[in-house]
Amino acid sequence: MSTASTLIETVDVGKAYGSFVALDGVTLSVKGGELVSIVGPNGAGKTTLVNVLTGLLKPTRGVVRFKGDDIAGIGPVKLAKRGMARAFQLVHIFPAMTVAETIGVAIVSQTGRSLDFFSSVRGDAAVRRRVEEVAGIFGLAGKLDSESRLLSQGEKKLLDIASAFALVPEVILLDEPTSGVSSGDKHGIMKTLIDAAERAGVKAIILVEHDMDLVAEYSSRIVALQGGKVLADRAPADFFSDPEIVAAIVGRKVGKVARSLA
Amino acid sequence: MSGAVPQRRGLLLAFVAVAIVVLAAFPHIAATYYVTLVLPAFAYAIALLGFNLLFGTTGLLSFGHALFVAIGAYCAAVLSSRVGVKSLELILLASSVAAVVAALPVALLSVRYVRIFFGILTLAFGMLFHSFLFKFYDLTGGDTGIRVLRPTILGMDFKELDKTAFLIGPFYYACLLLAVVLGVVMWRVVHSPFGLHLAAIRENPIKAEYLGVRVRRFRLLAFLISAFYCAIGGVILAVNTGQADPELAYWTHSGELVFMTVLGGFASFFGPVVGAFTFVFLKSELMGLTQYWRFCLGATLAVIVIVFPRGLMGLAKDASRKAAKR
Amino acid sequence: MTAFFDVLLGGVFHASVLFLVAAGLQLVFGVQRIVNLACGSFYALGAFFGITAVNWSIARGAPPWTFLPVLVIAGIVLGAIGPAIELLLRTVYKRDEAFQLLLTFALVLMFQDVLRFFWGANPQQLGNLSMSYGKVAIGAVSFPTYNVLVMAASVAIAVGLGLFLSRSRYGRILRATAENREMAEALGADVRWIYASVFTLGTMLGTVGGALVVPTSAASLDMPVELVVEAFAVVVIGGLGSMRGALVGALIVGLTRAAAISFYAELEVLAIYVMVIAVLVARPAGLFGKPVE
Repeated sequence: MSTASTLIETVDVGKAYGSFVALDGVTLSVKGGELVSIVGPNGAGKTTLVNVLTGLLKPTRGVVRFKGDDIAGIGPVKLAKRGMARAFQLVHIFPAMTVAETIGVAIVSQTGRSLDFFSSVRGDAAVRRRVEEVAGIFGLAGKLDSESRLLSQGEKKLLDIASAFALVPEVILLDEPTSGVSSGDKHGIMKTLIDAAERAGVKAIILVEHDMDLVAEYSSRIVALQGGKVLADRAPADFFSDPEIVAAIVGRKVGKVARSLA
Repeated sequence: MSGAVPQRRGLLLAFVAVAIVVLAAFPHIAATYYVTLVLPAFAYAIALLGFNLLFGTTGLLSFGHALFVAIGAYCAAVLSSRVGVKSLELILLASSVAAVVAALPVALLSVRYVRIFFGILTLAFGMLFHSFLFKFYDLTGGDTGIRVLRPTILGMDFKELDKTAFLIGPFYYACLLLAVVLGVVMWRVVHSPFGLHLAAIRENPIKAEYLGVRVRRFRLLAFLISAFYCAIGGVILAVNTGQADPELAYWTHSGELVFMTVLGGFASFFGPVVGAFTFVFLKSELMGLTQYWRFCLGATLAVIVIVFPRGLMGLAKDASRKAAKR
Repeated sequence: MTAFFDVLLGGVFHASVLFLVAAGLQLVFGVQRIVNLACGSFYALGAFFGITAVNWSIARGAPPWTFLPVLVIAGIVLGAIGPAIELLLRTVYKRDEAFQLLLTFALVLMFQDVLRFFWGANPQQLGNLSMSYGKVAIGAVSFPTYNVLVMAASVAIAVGLGLFLSRSRYGRILRATAENREMAEALGADVRWIYASVFTLGTMLGTVGGALVVPTSAASLDMPVELVVEAFAVVVIGGLGSMRGALVGALIVGLTRAAAISFYAELEVLAIYVMVIAVLVARPAGLFGKPVE
């Protein structure tokens, strides 16, 4: 992750549903090389913001840009083509397809070969190599020919994220990637993600997370939302040293790492 | 669809090769009656290969695909008996293009919906065409339909052969060739990057979108290809019976298409082919045995749905898996 | 003017019968999410059995005017097949919708021969029996009283069902199960019994509909497959799962068909299907249905 240009940004974005204001004047930007965590209590507008960032929702006010282009409401397919991928908190897999085939779907779509009606996808050595590469990064190399539905919950999660990475996105947005994973494994997953991002050439990661220890340890910046507004947009050290912010977002319970940063 | 283990694949292809050889020899070794049954079996095998691209591979269940079979049949009828075009090749081409053209608006409207709504919408289109065929007597021949005259194959009219001899002779081999060629093409399509994306759409359309797959567009394409195949099946059926009749478009005929596919196994490439042959022969035998053959067929379908949802090919795969373990 | 009224009343009569079948479909779909292709088969069963019941009762000396109650009773009694069929369908509840649909298609095939076995391949009818109630003058037209009675019965059933579903405890449990099966179960509803009773009720509506229509037309082996076409048009236009939709949809289909027949006979079913497609495109959930997916 090297370039420092702005990859994705929102400028004074607002989203209202009738009289209910979900987002109010949110301005943020993510540059290459950053891992930005979006935090906040439920109902703070995180999901809405993420949906705006990933082109699912059109903001009622303001602009959202990806590499300079307006991406308001363009939808997941066009977004993937432009270079942004997203993985959800709820694990999405293709139950009857193997790990190799799942990752293959992303690779085939990313190389623009969707309308190739005649070549054999199984016999394609280049595709196979890429599949093995991606699977290897996520520790799934041994399960390439297993059906997705037979994987463990953790492996399914990894596969879900791996297939998003296989799109070779410049920015990847991960919705609570460690939810449902035991605490011991959480750090392992984060390290895998960051490592994968580096190897896959992903330039920036946006994370939606509740686990403040992870957020504190791995983020380059933390964006805190409350009531649809940006409460704070700071590096972890600054973030955790401000008691008001900590109280608002984290409440009383602050973990070891966070305390050590304060 | 997950691929079979290499040995199983080899075994499968060996079976297919043997089947083709047997089919090629069939007119010389079997009784005429049975040979004439193979023709509708070819027709349905081709139609179902197309239908299953939409159902088994892409996950959309249409209850109106008999519409395209009927279009194929009526095109063959109109071309051969009213327009004077006798070339089988031209008839096949024109019919399948007509079906794709007709499929376009149907598909555009239908792929916006899934599951039961897709089924009902396709049923509606099928019945719309049926009532058009049935009621507009002057155009479509009403409930009698339109005659289909014998086509020429590669320019030859085989005048010296009577109807049956033509059907179990040159026409039989033309159909066998068609089935093999179209089968190979469909195999490539299913195993291509496009086919992989269709399977992704079936498994999880939301995730497929997030991996960059244009879900609606691909459903549309799968629909068009399925219409193409169904029309060719319709042409074969019409030439075989010598008549294009409106019942070909009735919703119960669409139901039979689904029946055959599930009977053979919708999750397997050759399932539809096995289903087509099994159904045609089973129906013929049952009709000879009892006047209550519909009940028997219905009961068979019920048993398949409840006990063997993966059909005959599913049973075969289970059996071979158990054998491999020993 | 008389022609207009004739068409109107004919359409409403047809709608009354269609409503009964559609209501049955909606109930079953609303609670169990099953689209029952065999609804037409139940309808036909009601028709044939109704004829048998009436002939039987008249042969035993019942006066002709009793045929209406006999038909209704026959239809209700036939509802007894409901639980057995529901047991069969129970085997595929957890499966994909496609299989449920296919199983009901298997029932259609089987019922064709069941009807053939008991009643033969020829259409049957009740002759002029419907005229034994005479005619009644409505406006400038005289219309068979029987038809009016059927329409009234249909309205009564519609109102009754509506009240039953909204006021009674059973009705509330039904609606809860339709909304959220797991929750209803967790709150103590006996879902199995609900499914069985709903399906039986739905079946009965179909068989009664078939029994009631038979004096004015004939019972034939074409009925099962033909009715499905119209019944589906009704539920699609009205919205899957909605009772109000069944009522409005039935009226629309019944009147459209009547109008189409009187203007340009070839248009009959065509007009209905164009309308189905138009509704599905403009308002996919139908007039009163809930938007899906």
